[in-house]
Amino acid sequence: MHSIYKRTTAALAMSVALAVPAYAELTGELRIFLDTSNPAPRATMEAMIDRFAAEHPGLEIETTVIDREAYKTQIRNFLTADTPDVATWYAANRMKPYVEAGLFEDVSDLWAEPEIAENLASTKGAMTIDGKQWGVPYTYYQWGVYYRKDIFDELGLSEPTTWEEELANCQKIVDSGRACYTIGTKFLWTAGGWFDYLNMRTNGFDFHNQLANGEISWEDDRVKQTFANWKQLIDMGAFIDNHQTYSWQEALPFMVNGEAAAYLMGNFAVAPLREAGLSDDQLDFYQFVAINPDVELAEDAPTDTFHIPANASNKEAAREFLRFVVSADEQTEINNGSNLGQLPVNAKSSVDNDKFLQQGFNMLSSNSPGGVAQFWDRDAPAEMAKVSMEGFQEFMVKPDNADRILAKLERARQRIYDN
Amino acid sequence: MFPKPIEKQPRAAQITYQAMLPIALLLWLGPLLAVALFSVKPAADFTNANYWGLPSSFEGAVNYGQVFFNSDMPRYLLNSFLITIPTVIGAVALSCMTGFALGIYKFRSNLWIFFLFVAGNFVPFQILMVPVRDLTLELGLYNTKTGLVLFHIAFQTGFCTLFMRNFIRALPFELIEAARVEGISEVRIFWYVVLPLMKPAIAALSVLIFTFIWNDYFWAVVLTQGAESQPVTAGITSFNAQFRAAYQLMSAGSIVAALPPVAMFFLMQKHFIAGLTLGAVK
Repeated sequence: MHSIYKRTTAALAMSVALAVPAYAELTGELRIFLDTSNPAPRATMEAMIDRFAAEHPGLEIETTVIDREAYKTQIRNFLTADTPDVATWYAANRMKPYVEAGLFEDVSDLWAEPEIAENLASTKGAMTIDGKQWGVPYTYYQWGVYYRKDIFDELGLSEPTTWEEELANCQKIVDSGRACYTIGTKFLWTAGGWFDYLNMRTNGFDFHNQLANGEISWEDDRVKQTFANWKQLIDMGAFIDNHQTYSWQEALPFMVNGEAAAYLMGNFAVAPLREAGLSDDQLDFYQFVAINPDVELAEDAPTDTFHIPANASNKEAAREFLRFVVSADEQTEINNGSNLGQLPVNAKSSVDNDKFLQQGFNMLSSNSPGGVAQFWDRDAPAEMAKVSMEGFQEFMVKPDNADRILAKLERARQRIYDN
Repeated sequence: MFPKPIEKQPRAAQITYQAMLPIALLLWLGPLLAVALFSVKPAADFTNANYWGLPSSFEGAVNYGQVFFNSDMPRYLLNSFLITIPTVIGAVALSCMTGFALGIYKFRSNLWIFFLFVAGNFVPFQILMVPVRDLTLELGLYNTKTGLVLFHIAFQTGFCTLFMRNFIRALPFELIEAARVEGISEVRIFWYVVLPLMKPAIAALSVLIFTFIWNDYFWAVVLTQGAESQPVTAGITSFNAQFRAAYQLMSAGSIVAALPPVAMFFLMQKHFIAGLTLGAVK
């Protein structure tokens, strides 16, 4: 009697994804390592794991939360010794070293299940290396231009869609005594975002990927064109002064105070901007403009992921956990506004009723035909990302040094990819 | 050697002194006051560039509540105590014995062994980083409080020995000779004669080592990872979110982390100052 009751409730609680395979009761220990160390995401993940545990009472789940920065160094240790069954990480090139070292489990079998194959198509590319999938995504978010709608209205501007409109808008903003864009390049990666967009719009997603993989010279004329476009903005005074001294957070006040009109940033910028008192009437979002009409639009959408280490001991339960994480209901729940506040990876999930999440979801699902990039420092190898982002920062301060900087990046490319 | 007391200085010097003192004090305490101010600000103040003004709303309760009830901070604090206290006991106990041996017995190479302890203090500890990490890994002590405690004891014993040996040297040697004449064993001389006389030095050294170890950040980061073993100095960085640095929580955490050594200082001020000068006199 008791067991029947338990099974019924479990079935009711189960999402569609889980209902597909009829599985035996899972037992044993399931060790989960998380890098979601901050209070809010941590609570979200722990609540999700509790729901999973409630469905699998036979499973003894042990969760370890590690500080996000420490996690990045610790993962090398724990994938080889004292290995957990499930671990968080990032998609694309960031997982490549562990895939190549044979430390992540091939989970192509999960991706072959119709439930996942049909609903997670948009992120499949980011999880694929050598034609196999090495984990599942659990959240991602869009990048784009967040702008002060009230300033645009005051100056009679509308959301630009082409490079010419962009430049014309920016000229008017500069003439009004403001900067078009705030940015803080102290920690480099923000400049990487600008490079991602300018290069993907100038030369396309595939070219951008080849550049990240070291297949194209940095002194190629097409790369030079990207920097020429960038220089147009820099020369007209589009960016705030002294940006190399600010972190991305320290650059926010310029937008809040109205000294800058827009910010090319990830969706995580919305929360602090709202906290600072900007209402949704003042704040809006548009997709980065097209530059070269011949290339398809592609977007940055960094994806966070779950993986099964190759040395895991309870892979059956781990797979079940991965299925659970990407199920439509769980995706709706953990990505809603009161939890992670990001985009669900499952197409059947519903997106939170937030203006920016809605726009981001629409943009990524219908207006990003070129592909979805992970962000420069996740797509390019770590060493190349560092050197190149230093170059981007220098370029933004001294745009006339472009040729010298590109020559330096080219030397770095020949050194880094050779090994 | 000592400067003339300020009351005996000319009037002009007194006025300059009185004017400069608050300014110097403010400069000195400025960063601390800023951290205290940050710890009661809402996150929005940082996005509004309200870095130095008054908080737009008082969020002290919220921030400190987050630190205590919604983070690993209590765990980190406990770790700090579990690391600091055994280290103090271990280092002081060992150095009492080494100090006694080096201060009382005359044997060949006494001075050389003493120099060895002293020289350890002059080694820049950063150069030990990689070997010590490898050593703790090999011993299976990496990422454990025990590993950190053992290393701290080993490293602090050098300084403590210098301190204790000089203190014991300054004790009247006649006391020990008198005890020897009475036929008391060396162990009992150490325990019943020397140790009671060392109480002020033990107190001073304990306070000193407590603050040294509590405030250690370098080794905490090198030898431990994660909430199960890291002390509070390293744990403060866990307030750095994936995307945002929560300055207000980091400030509140820093204040909490700074309280035990500050309290220790005020409660044991006498010993602390004694500790700074004791080792200096031979």
